[in-house]
Amino acid sequence: MMDNKTFIIAGLVVALLIGVVAVFMASGDPDGLESTALVVQGQKELTGATPEDAEIHEDLTGKYSYESPMPDYSLGESLGSAGGIIAIVVGTILAFAVVLGISYGLKAAGKPAK
Amino acid sequence: MHIPDAFIPIWQGAIYWIIALVFIALALRWARNEMNEEKLPLVAVLAAGIFALQSFNLPVSMGTSGHLVGGALAAIILGSPFAAIFILTLVLIIQGVLFGDGGITVMGANIINMGVIGGFTGYYTFKGLMGLTKNMPVSVFFAAWLACLIPSLACAVEMAIAGTFPLTEGLIAMGIYHAIIGFIEGFVTIAAIYIITAARPDLVDTGVRAPAGASSS
Repeated sequence: MMDNKTFIIAGLVVALLIGVVAVFMASGDPDGLESTALVVQGQKELTGATPEDAEIHEDLTGKYSYESPMPDYSLGESLGSAGGIIAIVVGTILAFAVVLGISYGLKAAGKPAK
Repeated sequence: MHIPDAFIPIWQGAIYWIIALVFIALALRWARNEMNEEKLPLVAVLAAGIFALQSFNLPVSMGTSGHLVGGALAAIILGSPFAAIFILTLVLIIQGVLFGDGGITVMGANIINMGVIGGFTGYYTFKGLMGLTKNMPVSVFFAAWLACLIPSLACAVEMAIAGTFPLTEGLIAMGIYHAIIGFIEGFVTIAAIYIITAARPDLVDTGVRAPAGASSS
């Protein structure tokens, strides 16, 4: 059985590997929701391929819009795959750290009550 | 199925946020009560793994791709739907704020779909089937498949309420695409549960501590 430290390292390595492979291998096709949007907007057949020029029309009136620092898990065209890897690595480590941090915080906060 | 801000009016997003906050509060209570030194690493590693898996868009034919959600995985392995809500909420916040994957005003809806609905569907399908079939892989497969499919249908309903998709068309398209994505999710969830159970049988809380062939140590 693995000890905690080995488990964390192994887990993070697996997660990072999946993420890095994803940068190169992930499909560029729209995801299920985007694909459905294209279908209902008449740009794509339900079971057909997605046309190159298909673009989702978004009605932004009365909607909030937000610029994220790393949109689409990328640091921009110029950095290409390297930017993608950085984005995924940052996100994966952050997911680990945030969950660990909040869990520790909650545990600490929950102690005195008991 | 990360809903972007453009797909739901702000006021509807606010309603989803309020509902989501109730479940987030319950998930935080779960974390405070259930978390211990032993479980902490598993929860954090699962969050990292689910973030990475969600970034991996797999082709599912028909000009569409899809990624795993991970709600069933988290709920089954940690033995509570609130585990899925806890992990998915934090992953969705990181995705939305840092990577623009899923909107901000609609994040409540995304948390409800993938965390709450995914977590509850995955957990209770697993428990129910496990009781009936006593077969871990079969139970996990259907739990993960449904935990991908049902949230996508909920998403289609939300899109219809928002006036973004017509109801029937949305349900059909979302249903077909996510039924296929869920298939992949089913197999990956089985694999992940076997791997994690093999590495740390003490941490897994599925009620099937020793998968077929493995002896409990």
